[in-house]
Amino acid sequence: MIEVKNISKSFADNHVLKDISLTFKRGETNLIIGQSGSGKTVLLKSILGIHQIDKGQIIYGNEVYSEMNNKEKQKIREQIGMVFQGGALFDSATVFENVIFPLQMFSNMTKKEMEKQAHFCLERVNLNNSDDLFPGEISGGMQKRVAIARAIVLNPKYLFFDEPNSGLDPKTSIVIDNLIKDLTIEFNTVTVINTHDMNSVVEIGDNIAFIHKGQKWWTGNSEEILKADNKELNDFVFATKLMRSIKKQ
Amino acid sequence: MIAFFYHIGKYILFMGKVFKKPQKTNVFINNLFFEIEKIGINSIVIVFIISIFMGAVITLQTAYNLEIPLIPLYVVGLGTRDSMFLEFSSTIIALILAGKVGANIASEVGTMKTREQIEALDMMGVHSESHIVLPKLLAAVFSFPLLTLFSMFVGIYGGYLAVYLTGAIPVDNYVYGVHFMFVPFYIVYSLIKMVVFAIIISTIPAYQAYYIKGGAIEIGVASTKAVVYSSILILFFNVVLTQILLS
Repeated sequence: MIEVKNISKSFADNHVLKDISLTFKRGETNLIIGQSGSGKTVLLKSILGIHQIDKGQIIYGNEVYSEMNNKEKQKIREQIGMVFQGGALFDSATVFENVIFPLQMFSNMTKKEMEKQAHFCLERVNLNNSDDLFPGEISGGMQKRVAIARAIVLNPKYLFFDEPNSGLDPKTSIVIDNLIKDLTIEFNTVTVINTHDMNSVVEIGDNIAFIHKGQKWWTGNSEEILKADNKELNDFVFATKLMRSIKKQ
Repeated sequence: MIAFFYHIGKYILFMGKVFKKPQKTNVFINNLFFEIEKIGINSIVIVFIISIFMGAVITLQTAYNLEIPLIPLYVVGLGTRDSMFLEFSSTIIALILAGKVGANIASEVGTMKTREQIEALDMMGVHSESHIVLPKLLAAVFSFPLLTLFSMFVGIYGGYLAVYLTGAIPVDNYVYGVHFMFVPFYIVYSLIKMVVFAIIISTIPAYQAYYIKGGAIEIGVASTKAVVYSSILILFFNVVLTQILLS
């Protein structure tokens, strides 16, 4: 479990996060949604420790991550898998080299064991026969799957996704969503997804937090969100014709 | 002025992180060999082309300007050798490498930054400054002095070819001049300069690119700044080191 307790974050006079408290459960997909500029990316990066918070606490399991020094944080970081918006794959490395990299850096496995684990993860995201391709030679959907394979290669306890479906077609988005859901159950991870893809919200939103103007505005699940009586949330969720037609049904 | 000292301080802090002990020796060694190939071996052709033409031009210009019969012809070989050893094979080659390698490092690190690859490394717990920059720095410090030695040899051979093909002076005179009053310290002086230039060429572009925010335009600006600042620093340290080492 990850607990976010009363955190605030400002950049100069801009108060981006205001007294946010959230709980992310293990084995479930926890979604952070909100409009562009609402503060959800800052929230995600604060939880990850990329941004130093001004106030509050971030607790991984029973350990107060936000109050640790860099050396202590490193132990938690080795249990975190992160998939960035653009995949953040290393351009000069092949698909296989990208996936095996965290093992080379942080495991004590033999070369054979590392290769076996990397291949297992690539197969798990349905990427076979792509080992020697470079990120520039594969599609956006495949890049996301490589990034997911790299994120799970160290068997993480915590998985983070920043806009996993951005730039993907609806069909590929569903593949990625289902993969995230399956991996969350299979690896029993605390999975936190930062998204504004409403399809993901409806399909895999076990726990959803709506962030508005830097504040926690609403929490619930994928069924509750369609019936919620909250103007700002409804304006966001039912902004498209497709979502409005779902609501009517 | 405040900005100048701000960047000096930030650069020193950056270099402190660059010199952090590599987390995994075998990964570091692999990266080092990869960078030696990219920075050093891939620069051999450009160094060869520039050096052979430089050596030829210095030789021909010296030969055609020797109008006083009292000056012996072997001075042409002597002049070519000392020009190559003292200045061209270190400073001019360094300026060329600042353009080729420096711009490459800036665009590579800049792209890594804008595509969140550096953030990904930091997130994994990898010391990104050391992981990215230290292999480049060591590869440059190792391979640039070797390129300098190569440039000296090729430049003198370029001069030899020039006199052989044009007959500007007799070849024997050129060869005698190349051997005449040889000062081995000139090579040491040139190599010392090149080590300093290698540090400049590998770290200034990395520093410029490491802190950029934005996209393609910012990467372009960082690459330009990297080449300009590296070139200015090379010229500045050329004067300083010459005064220290040859005075």
